Amino acid sequence: MGVGPPPARRRPHTQRAGWQEAGVLLPRGAGRFGPSWPGSPSPFPAAPLPGSTPAPSWGRHNTLEWDPHLSWEMFSILKQEDRQLAPSPALPLGTDHGEGLGRESSEKRDEEPADFYGLGDPAAKFSQISPYLSSRGSIIKCFRDAAEEGYKAYHLDEYDEDKNPNGIINLGTSENKLCFDLLSSRLNQRDMQHIEPPMLQYPDWKGHRWLRDEVAGFLTYYCKAPVPLKPENVVVVNGCASLFSALATVLCNPGEAFLISSPYYGAITQHVYLYGNVRLVYAHLDSRVTEMDGRPFQLTVRKLEIALQGAKSEGINVRGLILINPHNPLGDIYSQEQLQEYLDFAKRLPDPQKTHVIWGTSKDFGISGVRFATLYTENQDIANAVASLGCLHGVCGTTQYQMAQLLRDRDWINQVYLSENHSRLRAAHAYVTEELETLGVPFLRTKAGFFVWIDLRKYLHTDTFEEEFSLWRRFLDHKVLLSCGKAFECKEPGWFRLVFSDKIHRLRLGMQRIREVLGKEPQVAKTPSPCQPLEKSIQSR
Amino acid sequence: MEERFLHLEEQRVQLEQRRLEVERDHEFRMFSIFAQMLNILKQGSGASPGPAAPMSWQGFGLAPEDPKRSRTPQGPEQTFPVFYGLSNPGTRHLQGSPYLSNRGNDIKFKSGINDEGNAAYYADKYDEDKNPNGIINFGISENKLCFDLLSKRLSQSDMHHIEPSLLQYQDWRGHMFLREEMARFLTYYCKSPNPLKPENVILFNGCGSVFSALATVLCDSGEALMIPTPFYGGIVNNTYLYGNVQLVYAHLDSKITETNTRPFQLTVEKLEMALQRARSEGVHIKGLILINPQNPLGDVYSQGELLEYLEFAKRHELHIILDEIYMLSVFDESATFHSVLSMDRLPDPQRTHVMWGTSKDFGISGIRLGALYTENRDVAAAVANLCYFHGISGIIQYQIAQLLRDHDWINQVYLPTNQSRLKAAHTYITDELKTLGIPFLNRNSGLYVWIDLRRVSVRKRKLMVVVGEWGCSGNGEAFWRPDLDSLGSDSPPTHPTPVAAPSTYTRAPLRRSCCCFAVS
Repeated sequence: MGVGPPPARRRPHTQRAGWQEAGVLLPRGAGRFGPSWPGSPSPFPAAPLPGSTPAPSWGRHNTLEWDPHLSWEMFSILKQEDRQLAPSPALPLGTDHGEGLGRESSEKRDEEPADFYGLGDPAAKFSQISPYLSSRGSIIKCFRDAAEEGYKAYHLDEYDEDKNPNGIINLGTSENKLCFDLLSSRLNQRDMQHIEPPMLQYPDWKGHRWLRDEVAGFLTYYCKAPVPLKPENVVVVNGCASLFSALATVLCNPGEAFLISSPYYGAITQHVYLYGNVRLVYAHLDSRVTEMDGRPFQLTVRKLEIALQGAKSEGINVRGLILINPHNPLGDIYSQEQLQEYLDFAKRLPDPQKTHVIWGTSKDFGISGVRFATLYTENQDIANAVASLGCLHGVCGTTQYQMAQLLRDRDWINQVYLSENHSRLRAAHAYVTEELETLGVPFLRTKAGFFVWIDLRKYLHTDTFEEEFSLWRRFLDHKVLLSCGKAFECKEPGWFRLVFSDKIHRLRLGMQRIREVLGKEPQVAKTPSPCQPLEKSIQSR
Repeated sequence: MEERFLHLEEQRVQLEQRRLEVERDHEFRMFSIFAQMLNILKQGSGASPGPAAPMSWQGFGLAPEDPKRSRTPQGPEQTFPVFYGLSNPGTRHLQGSPYLSNRGNDIKFKSGINDEGNAAYYADKYDEDKNPNGIINFGISENKLCFDLLSKRLSQSDMHHIEPSLLQYQDWRGHMFLREEMARFLTYYCKSPNPLKPENVILFNGCGSVFSALATVLCDSGEALMIPTPFYGGIVNNTYLYGNVQLVYAHLDSKITETNTRPFQLTVEKLEMALQRARSEGVHIKGLILINPQNPLGDVYSQGELLEYLEFAKRHELHIILDEIYMLSVFDESATFHSVLSMDRLPDPQRTHVMWGTSKDFGISGIRLGALYTENRDVAAAVANLCYFHGISGIIQYQIAQLLRDHDWINQVYLPTNQSRLKAAHTYITDELKTLGIPFLNRNSGLYVWIDLRRVSVRKRKLMVVVGEWGCSGNGEAFWRPDLDSLGSDSPPTHPTPVAAPSTYTRAPLRRSCCCFAVS
């Protein structure tokens, strides 16, 4: 796989309104803010497509009102009683939703134009068109990234201690493999093996009522909601990806966008784009520590404002803000004050009708193969619209029953599962971070997630994503799979995400292989990592 | 200890069987009520042709047209469009929500329709003890005759298996073990001359999802697929919600002519007409959808017919999507189902896509499993990227593989029992219909009967369910709706005594499935 030329600016064009709009994003100013994949390694030679036409200007949806929806991938927001949230005193938001900050940020932008803003351009990476597929079908077919290439290699050469000891160790997929024993024994208990007619018949596409009762109870308890959450606000589907897809489709028209801070879990790009034809506007975070940024990759309202203004200046209609909390890949956990600031940014007073929370069992219970996720929203319009799409995202009835049993079993979750899971995660995290310290690799020390965000910039010869990709490639050649920063749309090349939630013997082997790769790399003297002072301060404690 | 456990288990099984018997008896009683009500309606209706109206049961038993009542448009301008129609799912807004995008409002409106029926049904559900005057939902095509067999099979110890890979992220096209099993299963039951290849099998959480993904990768937004009517109306939503793909209708009707030797016969001529008409209106048709065995007609296409349709599609470079979800629900030897996968040579294999799922043939619509078989690598790769959104639990994939692998149980236990129960229920219902003097299409497949209630003028009754799934909006809507256009039917919307109604003949399924008819 070579490094492709700059991404194609022209995309297939069809006669129909919906897709057409998607095809014409980045109407102007693209050069100024740069393509979304600057110099990114692309497996696809970018060539103009047959039938492509110059981009028309924005027509229908260019009213630039800031009318955002918030999506959260974690439930701690439910802790807050919306009515009790006061407007943030910290931020001088004008009456016109951030007008003041907008002015400030546009001044700022003259100094650092492309710094904090980017626009996802998912279709830019592809070029082949199939005679059998529609234009968008061709885009969907080619929709993949470097990470997927890695997974392909991984699945062909998976590590197995007996059968394939030289296979690839996967430290790239964010899965918790530490508690399979607990989960499999719990899921094999007798109470799980129950079948009754409704489970085998067409369900309510929002999910069986008894399951939605359990989900509401579960979220009330673990999110510490001040008042009981209501089952009628719960919609159950087969995974968080489906929820992103459904929400993008019902909240945005084709070609509209969500705002998200980068780095972020990069698959969201596909989740909102493939069916929904919705794009992402990036608020780029970086590792510099300044007066305003007390820590690396800190999300501030100012950065969100800058990105929003950037999108507005290009005529992009931003319909909502996506936050991931605890953050993937950074592992950050937002404080209540931060959460409140972000909500204030979305609307001066947090608006429960525009706040939608996503949670699933994949990560917290380590059962990503079960395909179960839930949306919590007080907005019945949105719940019903998502439920309409629910027939395309249905969950098996017997699985729904098992999930209800699982979520109901508070004793097991609290006394057996969570304590054991957390202690295993802590041990694995401790092992990996000690190894990283020995190697002299800086990293962000956080207390959530299955991964550490590591700083390998000193191993890059030049600060480019080509270099990052070639380092990622060398890891893969040495049979260890990591996720590189580009997969998270990180602004700075050289950051990687390392997943540690696996058995110790695999971690050992994986770390050993990482050491081998890095041992061969000459280190390039650069500015010290922002993580190091942080490390020292923590170590000295 | 173990003995005691076995004893308890035995008792449990006996109890369960008794419960099912009671339930079946109950369903019988339910149908009696239904039949009685029909009788009352007939008697109370002045428009009724009377109990002794001549009916032809055999073969394609539709009553002859009554010229006075026939409202088929006669004008030269109207005869042409009768065979053509275009779904327009996006135009029926009620009020937009300020929180939703334009298409979000479209989508919500869909759920609005479903909700109206379902909400009415769930709010006033029939229960023999608690709510004997409640609504009986005859809208959903589900096979409830074999729950006992399926629940027993799915509870066997070989089903309770969990291994790490089942709980982890998977190949989004489905676990290879299940794709292999599905390929073997389809090779065997579709009588494929050559073994089907696992890499051509892609798994989804239901056939609705297959339609959604195929529509999205084959058509651009606003393009169309063609389908003969009447058809299972859920497809309208499946292709429209995400894909924004419309359906062009090739309308079939019940008139018998020289070229139409049976009611609602699908001919290439009708397909040609609909295609030409759509093209003349600038609608871009990318493919043809066929349901075989047909829902709601119960037709099974002959090999010759199939070949004609396939040649038609090839001639116009159309993709052809074959929905064979009822392939094992043919319950009489007089009808033989021919899968398109059984053909030695497909006219256009790269544009032929076949789907099947477990919902109907195994009566487990709640399990959510559908499969696409396509030889086209581009189509396979493109839909695979959408499988993200249509994933199935690994544990369930394991169970389905166990089920499909068990040919002994399927052939010796399940299929014979299922087919004999379907046949018994069909016989029972059709006998009742004959007694009532209601014409119907006498077919031997599917879970439903397409009945002709044009002469039965009735008012809105709690018992009756109108738009079924062959309507336009989702699964079984338990409510009355005079909007015939949405039935995908050729009768004009103003027609006062609308057409036909399918009915399940099954005893057990009666409670929530069957009968649809429109009323005046």
